[in-house]
Amino acid sequence: MQQLLNGLSIGSIYALFAIGFTLVFGILDRLNLAHPAVFAAGALVGIELVDAAGLSVWLALPAVAVVGGLLGLVVERVAFRPLRDRPDAHFAGLIASIAMGGMLVALLQWRYGPDTRRFPAGAFPEQGYELLGARITLLQVVILAISVLLMVGLTLLVARSGLGRSMRAVAENPTAARVVGVDVERVTATTFAISAALGAVAGALFAMNVNSAQLGMGAAIELKGLAVIVVGGMGSLPGALVGGLLLGLAEVFAVQYVGSSWRDLVAFGLLFLLLVVRPQGLFGRARVREV
Amino acid sequence: MLGESTIVFVALAGLFAYSFYAVLVAGQLSLGQAGFAALAAYASATLAPDPDAVGDGAALAVALVVGVVVGAVAAVVLGLPTMHLRGVFLAIATLGFAEAVRIVLLNADWSGGPQGLSVPKILEPWTAWAVLAAVAYAFWRQAPSRYGRALAAIREDELAARSTGIDVGRHRLAAFVTAGGVAGAYGVLWAYFVRLVVPSDFGFSTAIDGLVTAFVGGSTVWLGPVLGGAFLTAVPEAQRALGIEAGWVRPFLAGLLLLVVILFRPGGLASLVPRRRPRLAGAPDDGPAAAPAPETRAPAGVVASLRGVTKDYGGVHAVRGVDLELHAGEVVGLIGPNGAGKTTLVNMLCGHVPPSAGRIDVLGVDPARTPVHRVAAAGVARTFQQTRLFGRLTALENVLVGAHLTSRPTFLRRLLWLPSARRDERAALAHAGRCLERVGLGSAARTDAGALSYGDQRRLEIARALAAGPTLLVLDEPAAGMNAVEADALSTLISSLAADGLAVLLIEHDVGLVMRTCDRVVVLDFGTVLTAGPPEEVRRDARVVAAYLGAEDADDEHVTGEEAR
Amino acid sequence: MRRSLPVRTPMSPMSPTSPASPTPRTPRRHAALLALSSAVALALAACSSDGSGSSGGSLQGEGTGDACTIADPVPVGAALSLTGAAGSYGESQRKGLELAAETLSDDGVTYELAIEDDQTDPRQGITVFEKLASDGVSAIIGPTLSTVAFQAQPIAQEEGVPVVAISNTADGITEQGEFIHRVSLTEGQVIPQTVEAAVAEHDLEDVVVMYSDDDAFTESGYQVFAEALEAEGVDVADTLTFSVADTDFRPLLTQAKAADPDAIVVSALIEAAVPLVTQARELGIDVPIVGGNGFNNPQLMADAGDAAEGVIVGAAWNSAATDNAQNTAFLEAYEEANGGAPDQFAAQAYAGLQAVDAAVRAGCSAEPDAVRENLSALQDLDSVLGTLSIDENRDAVHEAVVQVVDGGQFVALG
Repeated sequence: MQQLLNGLSIGSIYALFAIGFTLVFGILDRLNLAHPAVFAAGALVGIELVDAAGLSVWLALPAVAVVGGLLGLVVERVAFRPLRDRPDAHFAGLIASIAMGGMLVALLQWRYGPDTRRFPAGAFPEQGYELLGARITLLQVVILAISVLLMVGLTLLVARSGLGRSMRAVAENPTAARVVGVDVERVTATTFAISAALGAVAGALFAMNVNSAQLGMGAAIELKGLAVIVVGGMGSLPGALVGGLLLGLAEVFAVQYVGSSWRDLVAFGLLFLLLVVRPQGLFGRARVREV
Repeated sequence: MLGESTIVFVALAGLFAYSFYAVLVAGQLSLGQAGFAALAAYASATLAPDPDAVGDGAALAVALVVGVVVGAVAAVVLGLPTMHLRGVFLAIATLGFAEAVRIVLLNADWSGGPQGLSVPKILEPWTAWAVLAAVAYAFWRQAPSRYGRALAAIREDELAARSTGIDVGRHRLAAFVTAGGVAGAYGVLWAYFVRLVVPSDFGFSTAIDGLVTAFVGGSTVWLGPVLGGAFLTAVPEAQRALGIEAGWVRPFLAGLLLLVVILFRPGGLASLVPRRRPRLAGAPDDGPAAAPAPETRAPAGVVASLRGVTKDYGGVHAVRGVDLELHAGEVVGLIGPNGAGKTTLVNMLCGHVPPSAGRIDVLGVDPARTPVHRVAAAGVARTFQQTRLFGRLTALENVLVGAHLTSRPTFLRRLLWLPSARRDERAALAHAGRCLERVGLGSAARTDAGALSYGDQRRLEIARALAAGPTLLVLDEPAAGMNAVEADALSTLISSLAADGLAVLLIEHDVGLVMRTCDRVVVLDFGTVLTAGPPEEVRRDARVVAAYLGAEDADDEHVTGEEAR
Repeated sequence: MRRSLPVRTPMSPMSPTSPASPTPRTPRRHAALLALSSAVALALAACSSDGSGSSGGSLQGEGTGDACTIADPVPVGAALSLTGAAGSYGESQRKGLELAAETLSDDGVTYELAIEDDQTDPRQGITVFEKLASDGVSAIIGPTLSTVAFQAQPIAQEEGVPVVAISNTADGITEQGEFIHRVSLTEGQVIPQTVEAAVAEHDLEDVVVMYSDDDAFTESGYQVFAEALEAEGVDVADTLTFSVADTDFRPLLTQAKAADPDAIVVSALIEAAVPLVTQARELGIDVPIVGGNGFNNPQLMADAGDAAEGVIVGAAWNSAATDNAQNTAFLEAYEEANGGAPDQFAAQAYAGLQAVDAAVRAGCSAEPDAVRENLSALQDLDSVLGTLSIDENRDAVHEAVVQVVDGGQFVALG
């Protein structure tokens, strides 16, 4: 039971991180590898806000989301928009985002130094609860709740709102969308902003979960995030959620039954299995060939 | 002076980048090279003889052989299950493989775990550069060969490449194996230079570094990886020389520089080097070295027959019970309103899509059970409703790809500079030149296909289809976007092709063109054949008029196509 | 959602065809600019290493010991991981070295530090070592990681430049050659007595061992722990591994708790130590936790707070050694210069330069050969690590400490 809770807890953060990737990929067909750097930035900025500005942790989260959103806008404007019309737009955007990610991490090192940073003592509640023989802290519950809420909110946004409709239109056919009056540039920028905001909040939540943030935290989770979106289905939001939780649980139970050295292999084993058996992922749509 | 290590690391970086280039040139974003390199490094460190016993040279040679073989085998192991993956899926799957290799090496008993394996340093700078030069040479010779062009075609448009007869699966695997072998060589040379192989030197960041190097150098030109390797190795050196303080500033500037190169040099550093494009040397000649035409397996009469062909997509009946026969020397027009099933029918004919029911026979081949490239090899060539050219190749190169089936492979002979390779290539060039002339694009031979006007692009597609020397030519709305003069020229061309013995199936909305050019017209509506017969008959048929042509002056109407955007 | 195939050439007459090749003028200008700047960069790189070659006899001074005078500043190179995965350790080391250079320089002998970043990348490590050696430094300090050490230090050995390793604890470092020395105690010199002390203190009979298995330092630490536990007759109920980048240990700790051990023995770096200790207490694990060198960091108490109480740490540097005047002075000076307490990395870096200084003064010469000779013969140096000697294998010998966290401070155990 304890392991189940552990798995859900870490899985919800994987999912929140992965959603940022999958949102941009699903709508815009781009893989944004500056996302892990935004994840780390969210964590470090969150800590600074709580530490230096004395903000309550719960107020810091929306602030972190805003910072993340701004970073997302910058990344889109600099690394993706100018490369849109190139024949190798995919690779070029990917590499440009890698470059920006590196620059962002360097800036984070400038501001925060290379050491691990932590929240000041007493920044968040310490209560724990007993649930069916397992211990869980209030913090973990809140993190899980926030992650799920954000993901549900995002799914509703994409499915029901005007913005969401525009996003889906751009995903289907950007030229046609432009013709019917959708401001493709603005939708693209907004998508990046939302994705980055979620990534930044995920980073802050992750830092809260383990009370530590370091420059390399995004890189450590990057490959797992990619595995999650493939397992869940590229471009599928519920897929990222389910994929993340699944990965968290799988890892935890792998530790239990297979041995912890091989734990990371679980992610890739799952990935491979899925790619061979069901390449579109759990929730993705099978690609229809267009001739 | 430039230290020994810098010289070696430039060569190694270039070599590693070549392993990415090998797959990028075919448009495959495979990132498993770090895994291949790791396996090769560890294998050679374990299996190669001790240099003290057999001498440095012999030990390194054996190690290289071991490494290249291990790398190539690993590439096959990875390439086969990921055969159907594309783009980002492939990238993530291959990255996962590289990570899995790293984790296995961390945990294995024989590998020394995170503390690594000790390896004697026996690599000299000249050896590293010799290997690099050999690999660069091979890629240089590869680029203008039939194989190299096939890879480029797969990169630009995989579907179109298939329809010109290129076996995409085999070529992809070959590219993978090349990448594996080169990555293996890199792994071995790395091991025998740095004295210690640890799994963390083959991780995610290494994989990404290699990709970045290949891309920055230029992933479509053979010189790219060398330039990329030199550039990226020079950056930290330059920073040290300029006295930039060690610390966060250096990675920041490195990232900035990378970003600048990506943004302002689309083709990478290699785009600064002027590119030699194949050209037509003098007038095309019809010598005995002309390429042989493919054999047709069907009797001179029937080229293709469709019986009771049906295609359902879920609840939608795209094609229902269609019978059709195509004969050599005949131009058959296929007309009908949008959504009538014309393109679906043609896709089934060419093997892109299997029918839900019915039998098709094309030149002795059942396209339902044959891969697209084999159907093409049987003698079928086609153009597409939406132009599918190889945008970054010149018009001439596009047509050369079209001639894939009719030209001889030259890569291996090019490596040895054999004169027969030269002869074959000149013959192929001449043949391609003739095809271009035939559609009136002779002067545009050296223009990039993506830079041509729309009408020229349509004609180029036809030239590419012709280059295969087909028996059955399928044209899907070739006159779209053409003016009256161009359409006339097209009509003349089609008639002359039929006169040469080709069977031509023409889908068109330009009714006038159809009526002028076709011997027979088949009208499709809602997936079934409404009627078929000579043009005049069909034009007067009341059902056809109601369904499609409309009343009065039908031959003056230009019904716009489905691709209005 | 759109497919992920590469973008095709535009088809409609209405959309502009993207030019596949840029206009003729721009590439030539860019080409010239890039060619020029690369030429300049390479020329700079080439020239910079030439001018500062070894300056002959002026590194030989007069007098001995404190009265030694050397005319030119003594060039000491350092290859540290200032960025990259080991960035936080390298930074600590840099601060320790800079403080040492300032403190140890006097009118007679001044030290000029050339600190280079190896970016936690073996390629940079090798290149930097080559550069420092060809620049003619009297000694090279570093690198931060043992794995990079095996890859780079042989270059110094070949070029005849003495090396002082300040954080390499792996086996075989000093066996690379007679120019390679170390002031950092190996795990084998620290851990066995830690285990002994812990067993004695808490009557341990069976334990769970946890360590990060993808890091050379922590894995070699684990190996020594395993041997020492066996030697003490302690049962290992379970061995759990994690990755060096992990920060969530709840699944593993849950498993550890289920095994009901007398203690949890951990070989990890400080990044992992703090969350591990905190989460263990959160999950209700109250048994003692025993850690290796990686735990020896003031961050442990600062960030884990009460959870760190009672944690036993084997260390090569006792931050609380009040009887060591050097150490006290070092702590004060470091706090003033950097606004925080030093960790073991900073202390060992400081000691490294102290060793070089002692060697230079012993023969009053900063010539690499002389430095090497005197380093190898170093005996009973008063350093921040205690009384330090270099043995016949060129390894460090000084008293190692077993510490326990008590009242937010490290105090000696027993």
